[in-house]
Amino acid sequence: MSAAPLTVEGARRARWRLRLRNTRQFARRYATRRDGMVGAAILLVFAALAIAPTLFVGPLETVTTATGAPLEPPSLEHLLGTDEAGRDMLNLTVHGARVSMVIGLLATVITILLGAVIGIVSGFVGGRTDQVLMRLTDFFLVLPTFVLAIVLAPIILDIVGTDAEFFSIRATLFVIVVVIGLTSWASTARIIRSQTLSVRERMYVDRARVIGGGRGHIMRRHILPNVINLIVANTVLVFAGAIFTETTLAFIGLGDPFSPSWGQLLNAAQTAGAPGLGAWWMIVPPAFCVVVVILSFTLVGNALDDVLNPKAGLRR
Amino acid sequence: MNARYLARQSAQAIFTIVMIVLLNFILFRMMPGSPDRVNPRNPNITVEQRQAAKARWGLDKPLIPDQLVAFVSSTLQGDLGYSMKYQGQPVVEVIGDRFWPTILLIGLAEVIAIFGGLTLGAYTGWRRGGKTDRVGNGLSLILYSMPYFVIGMPLIIIFAAGLGWFPTSGMLTAGATYTGPLDFLADLVSHLILPLATISLGLIGGYSILMRSSVTETRAEDYIATARAKGLSDGKILRAHAIPNALLPAVTLIAINLGYVVGGAITAEIVFNWPGLGTLTVDALNARDYPVLQGIFLFLGVSVVLANFGADIVYGYLDPRVRR
Repeated sequence: MSAAPLTVEGARRARWRLRLRNTRQFARRYATRRDGMVGAAILLVFAALAIAPTLFVGPLETVTTATGAPLEPPSLEHLLGTDEAGRDMLNLTVHGARVSMVIGLLATVITILLGAVIGIVSGFVGGRTDQVLMRLTDFFLVLPTFVLAIVLAPIILDIVGTDAEFFSIRATLFVIVVVIGLTSWASTARIIRSQTLSVRERMYVDRARVIGGGRGHIMRRHILPNVINLIVANTVLVFAGAIFTETTLAFIGLGDPFSPSWGQLLNAAQTAGAPGLGAWWMIVPPAFCVVVVILSFTLVGNALDDVLNPKAGLRR
Repeated sequence: MNARYLARQSAQAIFTIVMIVLLNFILFRMMPGSPDRVNPRNPNITVEQRQAAKARWGLDKPLIPDQLVAFVSSTLQGDLGYSMKYQGQPVVEVIGDRFWPTILLIGLAEVIAIFGGLTLGAYTGWRRGGKTDRVGNGLSLILYSMPYFVIGMPLIIIFAAGLGWFPTSGMLTAGATYTGPLDFLADLVSHLILPLATISLGLIGGYSILMRSSVTETRAEDYIATARAKGLSDGKILRAHAIPNALLPAVTLIAINLGYVVGGAITAEIVFNWPGLGTLTVDALNARDYPVLQGIFLFLGVSVVLANFGADIVYGYLDPRVRR
């Protein structure tokens, strides 16, 4: 530190310098993790596919705009073959990236918001609030969430109707997002709470309280910045779980045939009897994408966990 | 065993089961399509008929306490209502029919996965950073990223549709007559192998990762250094000192996860059309057979709670530190 931050302006500049240095340090340490870097590179490719699928393979083919004969094996014209309605599998798989990743992202946002808020409030406020919130968390931890999702999804769907739209997302997909979010926040809340319990005891939190900082202020300005590392690492792992769950829910028939995710494509393959027919090209492309994306998220999440939380390295 | 620890764990298990039953009640009321909500749309139904229908189903009484009491007492007596799809069949019977195929499949898969996963995890954790670890842990991570049906579908394509070694679906050949019990067993086993392999592979990844981290942690303990100083061989240290100590947390986590496996293996059953709870769940889902869905949810929920409770008790017994 060159000059002592005597003015507000100086303090601000010092803070930014510190942040920049931390970011650089983080980037340098992350770059040494080969698995994390490979995972991140793969995710970038899939993010590009998800953002602009039309750019790569043209608009989504439907039953009426199908370009091939039914169940064609891979050829030069259809690199990954066609499905039972003659749609190009490459086209469907690339468009599936968008649906799978967007559902995964939205479900992750809900999960992390719920988990972080409940975790921080429970850990910081303590007492009766903590007890009630933690009983609730335990309940959701113990529940077979996947089965709950299966029970919840059709009920919500029957209430809102399949034709409804939320934020221009079709109801079927929106319901999957909500169901995943509602059923998977519990472990995040637990992790965040335990970190909050330790941050709460630090001196600067006491100081903030002494100079009159309210609960909300302390939680936002002092607790949150100190648990954010944990939240980031957890987000990536939650993302992997969300895509896993979405794929499974879509596979058992809760997906939307009009905007097919990878799980929905695998459901279509199963319905068409592709495994028994030996039509491997209907299964391998979406299955490969699912596994590679989940694996990449797991690799990045583990690497982040090690880099951001030095203690975690000892655990694993 | 500390009585307070036992009491606390029991209280928590009972609380969770009560919550599950309540959730089941609430979900039932949220469902669209109750007689009261559907009938007004039909102009031929008079108000009297509607009242009679409501009275017959007990819907004219207040939600709380009358309907709730009726629901809870019939649930406690094992009456989960009647299936809509299999008309007139009680839900308990429908679930009971599908119970044993699932237990057979998942029970065997668990045994294989626990042995395979723990062994793989122990060796990769012990050789952490080495070549065994890189290959073994990589394999575990890949398996861990695969939903069951993603493992099962390629297995069908290769071993059933392609090589023709195993049948593609079902638990027994339809309409087959058996000359003896051995014949029956052979048919069952040939149907069992692929779904069994699918679920085992799906579970091995997670168990191996768990055991690997547990062994890695034990490797840093002082008694391992002591064993090394005594001049014991590497393999002996692993088997006699590291594995027994690493097993405790790993096995507890596996026990806690037992209940989830039934829910997770649903997709494996679908791929192979195995007549268990998984295919029942999806059939009920597609037919919107709510009573059966609720029954499965209650059944699996209570199983998970009991598995958890059992794991907590066993863990408390084995490790005195958690008995606070």
